[in-house]
Amino acid sequence: MVHKLISGASGRPIKRRDILKGAGLIGVAGVFPAILTRPAFAADKPTVVNSIRSLSNPYHATWNKGGAAFAKSVGADYVTLVTEGNSEKGIADIKAILAKTGGNAVINVDPNDSPDARPIVEAAKAAGAYVVTQWNKPADLHPWDHDPNYVAHISFSGVPYGKAMAETLIKKMGGKGGIVALGGIESNVPAIERKKGLMDALAANPDVKLLDYQVANWSATEALDKTNAWLTQFGDQINGIWAANDDMALAAIEALRADGRAGKVPVTGIDGIQLAVEAIQKGELAGTVAWDPYWQGGMGLAIGYAAKTGGFDPSKEPKEHREFYGKGVIITADNAQEYYDGNIASEPKMDWNDIWGRVTGQIQYD
Amino acid sequence: MTIDASLSSSQAAKPAPRRRWRIAAWAPLIVLVLLCGLITLINPNFLTFGNMVRISQAAMIPLVLGLGATFIILMGSIDLSVEGGLTLSAVILSMLVLNGANSNAFGVFGILIVLLVGAGVGFANGVIHVRLKIPSFMVTLGMWFVGVGAANALLGGMAIRINDPMIRSLAIERFLGFPWGVWLALFCLLIALVIQNYTRLGRYIYALGGGEDLAALSGIPVGRVRILTFTLAGVFYAVGGVLAAAQLGLGNAQIGTGRLFTTVTAVVVGGTALSGGQGSVLQTLVGVLIVVVLSNGMVLMGVPPSVQIGVQGLMIIAAVALSIDRKRMRIVK
Repeated sequence: MVHKLISGASGRPIKRRDILKGAGLIGVAGVFPAILTRPAFAADKPTVVNSIRSLSNPYHATWNKGGAAFAKSVGADYVTLVTEGNSEKGIADIKAILAKTGGNAVINVDPNDSPDARPIVEAAKAAGAYVVTQWNKPADLHPWDHDPNYVAHISFSGVPYGKAMAETLIKKMGGKGGIVALGGIESNVPAIERKKGLMDALAANPDVKLLDYQVANWSATEALDKTNAWLTQFGDQINGIWAANDDMALAAIEALRADGRAGKVPVTGIDGIQLAVEAIQKGELAGTVAWDPYWQGGMGLAIGYAAKTGGFDPSKEPKEHREFYGKGVIITADNAQEYYDGNIASEPKMDWNDIWGRVTGQIQYD
Repeated sequence: MTIDASLSSSQAAKPAPRRRWRIAAWAPLIVLVLLCGLITLINPNFLTFGNMVRISQAAMIPLVLGLGATFIILMGSIDLSVEGGLTLSAVILSMLVLNGANSNAFGVFGILIVLLVGAGVGFANGVIHVRLKIPSFMVTLGMWFVGVGAANALLGGMAIRINDPMIRSLAIERFLGFPWGVWLALFCLLIALVIQNYTRLGRYIYALGGGEDLAALSGIPVGRVRILTFTLAGVFYAVGGVLAAAQLGLGNAQIGTGRLFTTVTAVVVGGTALSGGQGSVLQTLVGVLIVVVLSNGMVLMGVPPSVQIGVQGLMIIAAVALSIDRKRMRIVK
């Protein structure tokens, strides 16, 4: 027996099983930093946590930078959790961080899906942590029903900005002509609201005809193909292209470019990503709206942090401070350079104490 | 036009001794012709030269990806790393050629590096699959996420604009009315045809898909063929990445999203069997054209957006149902 084992080991020093074990160890070692984000030495200050969809899109990557900047400004530990589009993972990660910090945490979350907000809020309340939600939550879940832990919910109404972009487009077209529109995923609230804004603007401008509305699921690839098909179908009848986000708008510009018409047909986007602002500077994009994810990532934490550390008492705040619409920045050729210099070329300067500075009214439900 | 000509030539070149005429083998082509006819009836603009160019532009990337995937599927394996390889290639390309984020300007040399990266991803797929005996499904699933994850890590979620005029010219500059990217895709098709019909690797791939036990017993180096085929597929995905980056004029980690579905759909709709051993890269060309013509046609015909995805699903089932050879199948899982 003994002899057999030794000869086996010396004869074939590396077995497949050993490689697997090695690979497994490397895998485990790789996971470790994710769990032990940072030793909880600074336990007196609450850990500040951003929970977002992914780091693979510019929007949430900028969100994360804002969170890191706020954490640095108060000297708190900063943790980023990523759901990767998986609700279960998002909720489980938040529960794990609540357990690790013993509830001494402030969580700023963009829930993966609306129903996720409820278990997140309930878990935070049970642990004594403070939470701010953004974009998604059920209509019947209100911060004032979970005092004081559920500090606030922030959203942005897509209607006025979808409308503002359509108006920018129509103005650029000279008030008449045909447009085509690229929409986001049909069941997404922002997609529905932005489309409604577009329709409102069209109703007010009877000389502008909506030739077609197609859903490109927020995706550049799909938007490129749809725009190509439109160029066949409508040709010169297209005088403008409205897109529900920047990725689709930039893809529409590329389709126009392959047709030799980039910069001749105005296009608008929404979201305010860097490449969109640069496209405005080049005169190929007519406008976009910046939600300022840097502000969302930092200010969501700042509001929760102020409540957690006794800066204000959430239960004494009016309802329009508990569920409010933030402010988007409309960017056109007039202010693109200024926006670029202040927000993209340099790190934005934020006053993290001005927590109610961008409140533009209480959230309305239909 | 080119399609018909090349199809018939391959039928002649195919090393198939027994050629029983079956409608099933021609089903995808018939579907494609019917589809084109139907769309033209509803919207005559479909047949304009401009739209042909646009369809070719939309087809070039799925075609190149499909060529790689065809070899893997012919072998009876599956490759889910399409999006990983493509995304990583597109992102690395955007960082190597003249771009808006750093001072690199490697030009053609950058493309060669990207092709090597693609080959590396494919080689890793093959080696892990063969040496550790892990099913290709799992290995390539993992490599999909590794590829996208590495692209993410390189960019930190941002997008890089490509300013290199040569890369952009693949999508913008034209030769005989078609963008250079389309010619590049056709060149890839030619290479794939040569590999399939005139090389030992091509014959071995069919042999492996037809029956790996027999292939191994007759002395075919099964492991080496598998690794080589995955490497080859990785290079095709890298070419797809170059084309995708050229078309959108940027590299970001989301550039591959949704490509896997289109690729596998195109290969299967073309009539290549998921069980391996049956099919060809030309059938993939037909499959790609069906998928692209369908999505182009639905916009032209004014099919409501909410219905389009459902129509695509029905199309897949119908195409596969038409092209399956039921006589040879005993068990359906």
